[in-house]
Amino acid sequence: MNLKDYIESGLLESYMMGELSDEEMKEVDRLAARHPVIGQELEKIRKGILTYAEATGNRPHPDVLRAALKTLQDDQEDTQTGLSKLQDTSENRIKRFPVWYVAASVLLLVSIIFNLILFRKLRENREEIRSLTNQRTLLAEQVETASLKLDDAETRIAHFTNEDNIRVRMEGSEISPRSFAHVFWNKKTNAVFISVDNLPEPPHGHQYQLWAIKPGQSPIDAGIFDYNEQIQKLKVIKGDVMAFAVTLEKEGGTPHATVEKTYVKGFL
Amino acid sequence: MSPPTQNITKGNSVETDIVHYLKTRDKKALQLIFENYGPVLLNIILRIVKDRPMAQDTLQEVLIKIWKNGQSYKVENGSLFTWLTRVCRNAAIDKTRTKDYKLSEKFNTAIDLVNIAELAAHEEGTEQLYMRQMIDQLPSVQQKLIDLAYFQGYTQKEIAKFMKMPLGTVKTRIRLAIRNLRSII
Repeated sequence: MNLKDYIESGLLESYMMGELSDEEMKEVDRLAARHPVIGQELEKIRKGILTYAEATGNRPHPDVLRAALKTLQDDQEDTQTGLSKLQDTSENRIKRFPVWYVAASVLLLVSIIFNLILFRKLRENREEIRSLTNQRTLLAEQVETASLKLDDAETRIAHFTNEDNIRVRMEGSEISPRSFAHVFWNKKTNAVFISVDNLPEPPHGHQYQLWAIKPGQSPIDAGIFDYNEQIQKLKVIKGDVMAFAVTLEKEGGTPHATVEKTYVKGFL
Repeated sequence: MSPPTQNITKGNSVETDIVHYLKTRDKKALQLIFENYGPVLLNIILRIVKDRPMAQDTLQEVLIKIWKNGQSYKVENGSLFTWLTRVCRNAAIDKTRTKDYKLSEKFNTAIDLVNIAELAAHEEGTEQLYMRQMIDQLPSVQQKLIDLAYFQGYTQKEIAKFMKMPLGTVKTRIRLAIRNLRSII
């Protein structure tokens, strides 16, 4: 693994932001244990944030710590006075009451201790259930993403194998040589589908638009589409189409194609 | 030999010190956590509890929990920060289930106004003023990004939407902002 790339990926900043899941954080910890440079980087980020907090006064209020310490102090005192009271009374009673009373007290004490142990165990279990629930949610999300991807892939295969479809591969133009996309034009229904294979993310406020080109006519609007959804149904186009092309247009599309912004184009 | 109490500048040994104090049941652990991790933990809580006073309450509960469960922390299971983050998230989720929180959600706007007043009333010392000037060298967009991501509990996705920037740009700029911040301090 290239440590430099890893450090520059922004993942460590997200870690300190609290944006990673428990599992992802543990993965970072494992790597940090193996590569000290990652641990040092994390420390630098934390200290940067801390200095920023000092400078802007954007810190938790000091009362938060004070109040927490006071609560703990009070708890401790309560337990101590509680215990000494218990001792006093039991001593008095031992003098006044017969052996069975002592036995009952011992039993009670044992039962209290047993309850405390059970209570602690219960709390641990609850903690575990919570962490398992978190993991389950995460898995469910992953399954959902995977099944969406599968749906997309299946739709694509269906279009590729449909014998009624004319398939047109549109290759990247000079302004975007690596781009490509497919058009499926159904001979029976004349419906046009686009398969977005590789188009760059459009700049803010812009959208891609598909055009059908017929000989001797200006390009005919075949619909606007989202660059990040793979298969989309667009308009119905009839007649003597010789080519399809995609241009980048203002959001919402335009009636006249901006030809110099042609990203991909393909002939039938 | 016992480790020093104040160790904000001395490297990852802060984590070692805190773990040591937790194991030996010394309350200095809480003080060090508060000083060194307080702001980042509050931010993590704010991502869930969207109300600053309640988030501070939650942080207080977190400190108490840390003290009570400190011995359950194991270095093999991940870093101290990862453990602290988990405690914060659980406490924050618990908080959102309380009646108080549900009520407060309705009055959030009013509370925001109080917050602004509270921030405005905040006074700055000389040293703080100096650091403030250093930080003001950062471009204001970068200050805004650090503020939203590390102090206001916003996710990078929310920031992208709010600042009308692509998510990738938000990530790169936050990284750049942190690097700049480190180079000026």
